[in-house]
Amino acid sequence: MKTFKNLLMLLIVVSTVSCGDDFLEPVPTAVLVGETFPNNAEELESVLVSVYDALQGVNSLELTDASLNHSQQIEFYVTEMLSDNTRSKSGEGEAGQFDNFTVQPTNGFVFDYYRSMYDIITKANLVLDNIDLAGDDAATIEGEARFLRGLAYFNLVRSYGDVPLIDAPIIITDTEAQFTRVATSDIYDFIVTDFQNAISSLDVTSTPNRASKAAAQGMLAKVYLTQGTNYGEAQGLLEDIINSEQYALEADFRDVFFNEANGENIFTVGYVASNSLESQNFSAEMLNGVGRTSGVNYVTDEAIAALDEFGGDRAQYSKRVDAQQPTQTQVVKWIPNGDADLGIAETSSDPTSAGNDWIILRYADVLLMHVEAILAGGAQTTSSNALASFQEIRDRAGLADDPDNPDDDANTVTVITRDDLLVERRVELAFENHRIHDLRRFGVAQDVLTEFSNANGHSFSATDLLLPIPQFEINLSNGLLSQNPGY
Amino acid sequence: MKYFLKTSKIALLLLGMVAAISCENELDLPEAGSQEDTTPPEANFIATVDINNFAIYNFANLSTSATTYSWDYGDGNTSSEVDGQNEYAAEGTYTVTLTASDALGVVSTFSDVVEVVEPEEPEAIIPVIIEPSFEDNTLPDGTGDGRDSWRNSDLGGVIQINTSSTVPEGGQAAKLPSDASRIGYQELTVTPNTDYRITYSYRIEDPGGSATVSVLPGGGYVDRATAEASAIVEFTGSDEDYTLVTLDFNSGADSTVSIFFYNASVEARIDNFTAGLQ
Repeated sequence: MKTFKNLLMLLIVVSTVSCGDDFLEPVPTAVLVGETFPNNAEELESVLVSVYDALQGVNSLELTDASLNHSQQIEFYVTEMLSDNTRSKSGEGEAGQFDNFTVQPTNGFVFDYYRSMYDIITKANLVLDNIDLAGDDAATIEGEARFLRGLAYFNLVRSYGDVPLIDAPIIITDTEAQFTRVATSDIYDFIVTDFQNAISSLDVTSTPNRASKAAAQGMLAKVYLTQGTNYGEAQGLLEDIINSEQYALEADFRDVFFNEANGENIFTVGYVASNSLESQNFSAEMLNGVGRTSGVNYVTDEAIAALDEFGGDRAQYSKRVDAQQPTQTQVVKWIPNGDADLGIAETSSDPTSAGNDWIILRYADVLLMHVEAILAGGAQTTSSNALASFQEIRDRAGLADDPDNPDDDANTVTVITRDDLLVERRVELAFENHRIHDLRRFGVAQDVLTEFSNANGHSFSATDLLLPIPQFEINLSNGLLSQNPGY
Repeated sequence: MKYFLKTSKIALLLLGMVAAISCENELDLPEAGSQEDTTPPEANFIATVDINNFAIYNFANLSTSATTYSWDYGDGNTSSEVDGQNEYAAEGTYTVTLTASDALGVVSTFSDVVEVVEPEEPEAIIPVIIEPSFEDNTLPDGTGDGRDSWRNSDLGGVIQINTSSTVPEGGQAAKLPSDASRIGYQELTVTPNTDYRITYSYRIEDPGGSATVSVLPGGGYVDRATAEASAIVEFTGSDEDYTLVTLDFNSGADSTVSIFFYNASVEARIDNFTAGLQ
């Protein structure tokens, strides 16, 4: 009897708590909660900085609240690990769902990424809504906020399909705006407008940690390529970047990642080592057994084979055998604790508070997009301007002809097919979260991932190409928000 | 005291029930066996042609609330896989039908039409230069004085025609007097991102000057300084005997390019333009 009473007490407590958490205190994704509204130019500037912070994401090092946004730091789960480039070491848990194409609407990374993108959008909207507070640099502030908002929507629309379009600060009762999915084509129109504004408002030169004209031009070109229209405009935007002569390929591929003040990176997310607020944890997560989550984003056999065959000098700076577990292969591009054999210095004494920046856009991507724009959806090209951009990438990778042997022209490119371009993008931009988007954009995702899935015993189907809308959002929406097919 | 305790227990019990009931209302649990099929299957798919083989189509199954699928590819082939792929034996128009059903036997069908057609390899346009060697009556309608196609009064005066001396092609050539006030300009239609070659012959009459021929991206030029600064490719020469010049260029993103020529300091002659692929 006494036990029964105690159980009863417990039941009361449990039911009260569960009701409170689930139904009475929802934290909406795209609504400002507890945000200070800016009153002057200085405060507006600090809101702009908070937009960059939202992209940067929180390192889970000291702050372990599950509701924090990890943003760019967890992007590789929902992009690279969903592709045929990487997997988790164990294949288990929420990370493993991306490896074997069993992602659930309740997946924490799916929700975290979605929430993080709307966090960027919400804060950018706050900047744009108060832009009249800005002084002389109003145009720059507007351009930066629009660039970041456009980037967040571009990430959302590519990963989730139709998504709610929030273009101004809203309050919690604006459920229609929060939960009405807007057609992909309309989201793209909105992104194009944001990037176009950023192009006209921003300067050519800037630190790669902040939005610049070239960053906006490159991202808009990628939007046009993704839409499969406006190839000519994309080409023009990319040639503007090329002809500006502000950027160039680094001579040594390694320096792109381990010498951050290089001239190749156009837009990066900055991190500061050994600083719990400004550092990142993804570098440690990609190692073996360091940090809270680890052993993720390990390299698949398929990516190893592609890098060995086509990577040239890039292979050794892209992947390495895990010294602790020689059957496994790790990503090199973001290692935090150095590698003496590769001549890479450590970025932080504690790998879980690493300082490696994340590269969103670099000049090599611009050159390869230039080829893609000239291909314009065709099967192949022999146009000299495309060949020149393509050859530049291959020459830097050490795939050039032997200068001492005039008969050697084996690596002189004379024709580029779509397959050639896809392979080159795979090995040049491996583990930089491009692969899944490239597969989608080239229209080969179903084909390539079906084969990959069959070879590895996974369960891919075409609906896995879009992530599920987070279950949390669907629950909050009271039936307004529909789920993607297949979930 | 004892009585009070008992009451509070009952109150607690009641409270517990209330809390449980309120949660149950929110969750809206269905009663077993009394529910209709509120989520009937809805068939849907999108078709994409393979990038390497126009005869192969991939079908992405976007159906909802279904468990079994049946594909009819419209050419007699069928499949019961989730996603479909079919290679068509011949060009044509095929209606593809997906039948999706759930475990309760509710069925939904969706059809779409695919066109299997071998893509034509687009042929590059060979640009046509009108009045290429400045001869009379060489406009398309058989008229003209050899220079009508070369006018652009915003950039400079119209060229003169030299008829008196031996020229590389025909009996006439373009003549640019020494005051350098005259120019030649013509817009050509091209295929974007194609490697073209334009050739011409030129000479200057006296030492100390030059003749320049350039290819400009796009058309519609109205400002001479802009035109002179915009060349994709140009050649400035000072040979006093007729010399053949080859200009190789890539049309870039443009579907129009413009030929623009002018001289400096001394009289110059230009003749016999040709255009083709490299």
